[in-house]
Amino acid sequence: MADFLSGLRISSSGMTAQRQRLNAISSNIANINTTKTPEGGAYRRKDVVFEAMPDARNFGEVLTGTDPRAKMNRVQVTDIVSDTRAPLVKYEPGHPDANPDGYVAYPNINLMEEMTNMIQASRSYEANVSAMQASKDMALSALEIGR
Amino acid sequence: MSIFDKTTNALQTTLGMRQMKHTVTSANIANAETPGYHAQKMDFEDALARSLDLDGLRKQSVTNDAHITVGGHSARVRPDIYENPEGEVSNDGNTVDLEKEMSNLSENAIMYKAALNLINKKMAALKYAASDGR
Repeated sequence: MADFLSGLRISSSGMTAQRQRLNAISSNIANINTTKTPEGGAYRRKDVVFEAMPDARNFGEVLTGTDPRAKMNRVQVTDIVSDTRAPLVKYEPGHPDANPDGYVAYPNINLMEEMTNMIQASRSYEANVSAMQASKDMALSALEIGR
Repeated sequence: MSIFDKTTNALQTTLGMRQMKHTVTSANIANAETPGYHAQKMDFEDALARSLDLDGLRKQSVTNDAHITVGGHSARVRPDIYENPEGEVSNDGNTVDLEKEMSNLSENAIMYKAALNLINKKMAALKYAASDGR
């Protein structure tokens, strides 16, 4: 039997995932001109990978497929990947990171793309907040039975 | 006769089912951007109506008051959770429609509150009776 806590757990997993996505987007926007990174070369834009995880506990019920929670999935960021797009190359001979030909590799980040992703992430976050608020309201009003 | 009748049991089951449906909707909202995730849908109304014998079809099996009734076992209603076939598949294989899920969420919360209000009315009536009408 699913309880309210699993509803809260699922919504909070969604909020966490969207926040992590927002962190990645912030990092992309902040590093739009970064030419030096610990791994060498220009900064590469980061993207999060979301994965659905069943919110089930009881092994027996999961095995026989009778636990309804097996169909209620949390969301989790399972990986943060670097974009494989080729960097933007600019001719700046005076730049300390320029190659022998005088070209500097800049991150291939599209600000518009990052801004739309940011709006999408914050809207999704808000949707999860609403779902969580509804869980809370329902649980609290259940405490009022018989008052 | 028990003081908690068929209606109270049905309302209790409804609350449990609404709660579960809420969790299913929350899961869809949380996974609104998970690639390849398929939106889940939950139905329990038919199962509940069948167990309450609303259409009266099962009455025929009881011809004597001493017989054990078939209907009324609303506590054992099994919900049906399945992949929503109406979903539109987006580029990443996700079928969640966020607007629909949000409206399902509020609808379900309102129905939950309605069931709660009914239970409270029942309880108020019992309380009134138990306090000798005072």
